[in-house]
Amino acid sequence: MEVKRFRLGKATAVATAFILATCLAISPASADRGDAARQFIASLADRAIQALTTADTPRAERIRRFRTLFNDHFAVEDIGKWVLGRYWSRATPAEQKEYLRLFEDYIVASYVDRFATYTGERLRITRALAEEGERATVFSEIALPGGGKTPVRVDWRVEGAAGRLKITDLVVEGVSMSTTLRSEFGSIMRRDGGKLDGLFAVLREKTAAIKAAQ
Amino acid sequence: MKVLNTDCRGQVGWPVLGALVLALGLVAGCATAPDPTDREAVAEYQQINDPGEPTNRAVFAVNQVLDKGVLKPAAGMYRDLVPPAVRTGVGNALNNLRSPVILLNDVLQGEMRRAGVTFMRFVINTTIGIGGLGDPASDMGFPYHSEDFGQTLAAWGIGEGPFVMLPVFGPSNPRDAVGLVVDFLVDPLNLWATNTDRQYITYARGVTRAVDERARNYDLLEDLERSSLDFYATIRSLYRQRRTDEISNGWTRENMPGPGVTETPHLKSEEVSQWK
Repeated sequence: MEVKRFRLGKATAVATAFILATCLAISPASADRGDAARQFIASLADRAIQALTTADTPRAERIRRFRTLFNDHFAVEDIGKWVLGRYWSRATPAEQKEYLRLFEDYIVASYVDRFATYTGERLRITRALAEEGERATVFSEIALPGGGKTPVRVDWRVEGAAGRLKITDLVVEGVSMSTTLRSEFGSIMRRDGGKLDGLFAVLREKTAAIKAAQ
Repeated sequence: MKVLNTDCRGQVGWPVLGALVLALGLVAGCATAPDPTDREAVAEYQQINDPGEPTNRAVFAVNQVLDKGVLKPAAGMYRDLVPPAVRTGVGNALNNLRSPVILLNDVLQGEMRRAGVTFMRFVINTTIGIGGLGDPASDMGFPYHSEDFGQTLAAWGIGEGPFVMLPVFGPSNPRDAVGLVVDFLVDPLNLWATNTDRQYITYARGVTRAVDERARNYDLLEDLERSSLDFYATIRSLYRQRRTDEISNGWTRENMPGPGVTETPHLKSEEVSQWK
């Protein structure tokens, strides 16, 4: 018993020392990454307020500005690929190109109005967290007008080296934009037996319908 | 705007609960299982975890008809005709009436601090808040949170099981459906109404709650239905994600699965300098 306890104690001490050493080695870099991510989202919010919240901007112009903002700040291609999941690698290069074009159109049309809300002046960044690899998450809260006393939680998942950060996901009250899109796109793909034509038709139809409705 | 309140199931009486149990037994129409040699397809099938999909979609279609025909118009009128102050009062009162059930579930989950908050809210809002119409407790440091028996079962380590679309009640799973029944049975107001032959109170409360929740989510659901490619798949995904979030009490997990930047994006130098 005595021997066993001693060994255990030693192992624990070594493990603790190791963990401490790793933490000390990692923490300055990850703190920087968290800060960089925080600044990135704060600057995106500033730009979005200027570009999207001016009331007298015509809709076509707002869509154009949002497309620029979206392409500059989001890892559009990577999100598109992930959303298509296992069907991406099976598609021909021409299909992949067409898919990414339709994906961008669809997201721009369906997110232009929501995005103005998410990045409005009531956005308050609460904290930033560095994660595995070059990932980080910026946590924010938005007090919606007439939304009661509880603000809406919006998490921004960010990835990339300093100066090249891109948003990979937007999580609103625990609901991830990318995960939701992936389940929808996957559902259409399964319905059509893995063929992209059906998805393309639905994307075109929906994008047109969203634009017409507003 | 609460993004999607998954506790938007009105509390209705035994006939509906009977239909619910019947519907659970009806999950006979099954989704075609994938070719077992296609590993990716099998993994996808397991991840979607919706073996009764054809039946679920049929139930969803019926629910949509009921929504368009009854609940949505009622919620629209409620929202347009009833002054915001009154609607806030109704919402507060409904939350306050749920306090005993929330308190019980807080305790069953061992969340004693949250149980204390729920208890204080009930005392403050029932007295100073005039029978729960006001919510002064939120301003006194006791913010609202919800709990239900489905979440308690999850906290006890019970898995959700396959996805199930319940008639009238909407998206669920066996664990949460059991939770729904338990919450209904232990609710003091329901117990009192049943024991004193005042079932109309239970019905009225259920209808009010359904209309209130539908009105709250009116714009969100409108927006989702217009933009989503497959509304059923969207609702199924949203329900699961919201439940996971509620069960963890909004504690965001690190390193969640999601898109990753596979290759460093090629950027023009002026774009890079913009961010610095």
